[in-house]
Amino acid sequence: MPKILPLFTKALTDSWRSTLAWALGLTAAIMLYLPLYPSIGGNSQMQDLINALPPEMTKALNYDQIATGPGYTQATLFGLIGFLLMSMASVGWGAAAVGGDEESGLLELTLAHSVTRVQVVLERAFALIVRTVVLSALVFLLVLVLNRPSELGIDVGHLFGAVVLFAALALLSGTAALCAGALTGRKVYGIAAGAAVAVLGYVFNAVGRQSPDVDWLLNLSPYHWAYGNSPVTNGADWGAAWGLLGISAALIAVGAAALQRRDVGV
Amino acid sequence: MTQAIVVEGLRKKFGHREVLHGLDFAVERGTVFGVIGPNGAGKTTTMRCLLDIIRPSAGSIAVLGEDPRRAGTGLRRRIGYLPGELHLENRTTGRRMLEHFEAISGPVQPGYIDQLAERLDLDLDRQSRKLSKGNKQKLGLLQAFMHQPELLVLDEPTSGLDPLVQQVFHAMVREAVDGGATVFLSSHVLSEVQQAADAVAILRDGEIVTVSTVEALRTAAVRQLRFTSTGTEAPDVGALLGRVPGVANIAVRELPADGHAAGTVEATATLSGHVQPLVQELARLNLTDLVLEEPDLEEAVLTLYTGTSPAPGHGEGPGSNNASGSGSRPAARKEGAHRA
Repeated sequence: MPKILPLFTKALTDSWRSTLAWALGLTAAIMLYLPLYPSIGGNSQMQDLINALPPEMTKALNYDQIATGPGYTQATLFGLIGFLLMSMASVGWGAAAVGGDEESGLLELTLAHSVTRVQVVLERAFALIVRTVVLSALVFLLVLVLNRPSELGIDVGHLFGAVVLFAALALLSGTAALCAGALTGRKVYGIAAGAAVAVLGYVFNAVGRQSPDVDWLLNLSPYHWAYGNSPVTNGADWGAAWGLLGISAALIAVGAAALQRRDVGV
Repeated sequence: MTQAIVVEGLRKKFGHREVLHGLDFAVERGTVFGVIGPNGAGKTTTMRCLLDIIRPSAGSIAVLGEDPRRAGTGLRRRIGYLPGELHLENRTTGRRMLEHFEAISGPVQPGYIDQLAERLDLDLDRQSRKLSKGNKQKLGLLQAFMHQPELLVLDEPTSGLDPLVQQVFHAMVREAVDGGATVFLSSHVLSEVQQAADAVAILRDGEIVTVSTVEALRTAAVRQLRFTSTGTEAPDVGALLGRVPGVANIAVRELPADGHAAGTVEATATLSGHVQPLVQELARLNLTDLVLEEPDLEEAVLTLYTGTSPAPGHGEGPGSNNASGSGSRPAARKEGAHRA
């Protein structure tokens, strides 16, 4: 029986366990962090505590905006724990999609069948996108549900924009991992590339915010492109969203072209 | 189009290391072509080139009349491939795995998968990580055969299979060929290829040493001869053996009288080439025991690997066609009484 997008559907069904695990992780993080806002953000003692922290630290952690509901959500969920979990999920999937598959010896047999290499990369990248969208949609819904009970006061439109950027940022790491995996045929290089994009983006943002002398680092930080204007508070910078998605698309294309040209499994 | 595979001047370099040094061979449609050679000779690399998994550095390949590099998905649908290092997913069942391969290859006749699984005695509903090496190999064979392709490219197909299943595999190969398919298979042991193949290419260090028929190899091969006779002196037996063309490594000794008839002589020797002259000479003796073993093709091939000439006292190379090659075997078997 002819199936539509057989590699895509297989990639999705094969990873339902990990998708579920990351979904549970994100849910747990959201359920732990956001309901704490009324006792943290609005609490003057907590504000005193944050004021007592070195300003470099609060800037690095984005805790300077923690006093408002949207700022708190931005700093804790989108900027830290959610960013961490989503990047890990996306990088893991991206590195496994081609590089991991080749390293484990499975790709050879797949390519011996009636598929093209470009098709392999595109369908698996599509599966990566869909999983990222699913997790992001879950985040959107959970924050929406907690918005009122946790007294967050987040504008739904701004939340949507922030979630789009959240997804695009994770996807950038994931596609970097996929691209490096397709270039090298090694999972570890994929993970290294994806992690580098996420970690360096975060570090460049944290360091760049410390002083005007190093604020040029912000220009190199995808993290800063996405979150520089605190999208949960102020709405998305859609240009940044399109830019991130454009780079991801280019990384997928490079991965497909690279795999098309080289020997597999050697 | 009578040739399923035509390879000309195939070279492959990995970095600076060239592993295939210009292979030329052709595989006729509807035949079984075996490639044998030690590990690292280039068998797997050659097969991967046929499937466009790796790309040749030079030379041309035509598979079913098409260049695998350009032909795209349509060509690979007509091929069934078993990789030499078979890796299968762990967290799935054989059935789900085969459904996926059907989706990216196919079409498969309804019920054919179950039919093959039954022949191979393979449980498709077990988790694949729990399958033994042999059962995984069965799954690999199944996915190669299930869409009844025109060309089967099988890298070490019987590795890990027990003898019973190997027989099933050979039957499957014969049926595929009877149905018009072509089979290209490799092995590092000759006995495997010997059963199935019409023609054999011997590959060593990225070069084809010879392309030959199994029968020609058999003629070149060396047989072990052992017999005992009574009533003839040992030197006479030695002289008699010495007259037979192709006989070498003669050792003759008189057995001690106790337990044997007086004047019992035991002789061992090797024979390469034709059996008939030997049988004629042996007919003069009063034999009490005779063993003429199946030719050890493995040894014949090993001499080719190492580059030394085949057997002493034998003029013909393995590439030469010898019409009497097949006729000599029954003659030897007829008298081969007791096997040690």
